[in-house]
Amino acid sequence: MQPAPLDTVMRTLADPTRRAVFERIVNAQEISVAALTEGSGVSQSAISQHLGSLKRAGLVTDRAQGRNVFYRADPRGLAPLADWMGHYGVFWRKRFDDLRTLLKEIDP
Amino acid sequence: MNDTALQPATQDIVVEEVLPHPPEAIWKTLTTGALMARWLMEPRGFAPVEGTRFTYQTKPAGAWDGTIHCEVREVVPNERFVYAWTGGHESNSGYGSPLDTVVAFTLTRVPEGTRLRLVHSGFVAPVNDTAFQNMSNGWRKVVPSIGTLSNELH
Repeated sequence: MQPAPLDTVMRTLADPTRRAVFERIVNAQEISVAALTEGSGVSQSAISQHLGSLKRAGLVTDRAQGRNVFYRADPRGLAPLADWMGHYGVFWRKRFDDLRTLLKEIDP
Repeated sequence: MNDTALQPATQDIVVEEVLPHPPEAIWKTLTTGALMARWLMEPRGFAPVEGTRFTYQTKPAGAWDGTIHCEVREVVPNERFVYAWTGGHESNSGYGSPLDTVVAFTLTRVPEGTRLRLVHSGFVAPVNDTAFQNMSNGWRKVVPSIGTLSNELH
């Protein structure tokens, strides 16, 4: 699956209630909609809307079993967030290689 | 539900190496424009003086022209060199998205030469560590490398 654009992921996680739902899914490994609703102080339809947003952003996947739908977090959903920093991780390691070469030349 | 669980947290890139050269030689490569151009990028308007603003030109992305804007923050000869590193554009995701970071080089003399430590800090992650306590290995790999800014989260 193509990761959602970064701003979609950011917008999705910018909502505090949705972030809290996402966090519970991450911590639960797998959790049903009913369990997510329980004790959340939010209606099941509101939870379902948040789950829909998280799913569209590629942050969670769902699995139907009988009358229940179970959700789990999808690590690939955070890939767009990793990209910019990953770019610099690679960048600096390469630059250090070039620095070593330069130093050998100017300070043999 | 509470909304404190997933606060923005910043992540750092750290590269550390012992180089078989004295701090003075390494300092020169970090703070001389002509030498910076040979291992890092060519700085424009650079001087190793606190408050100096300079730029690097990198690959453009979308609405971002690829210019990295820097400002010298700290100059302790042969020991520490720090500058701000900003760039990107809000309309970009991934490469080219907004960046408001700081690059710090620290040099420490050791018997083998110099320990050079680079910390590139200020990459903002939209999640904190506690939110990922029970994550699978897949998550653990992703999280340390999460980094980007989101104005929406500020």
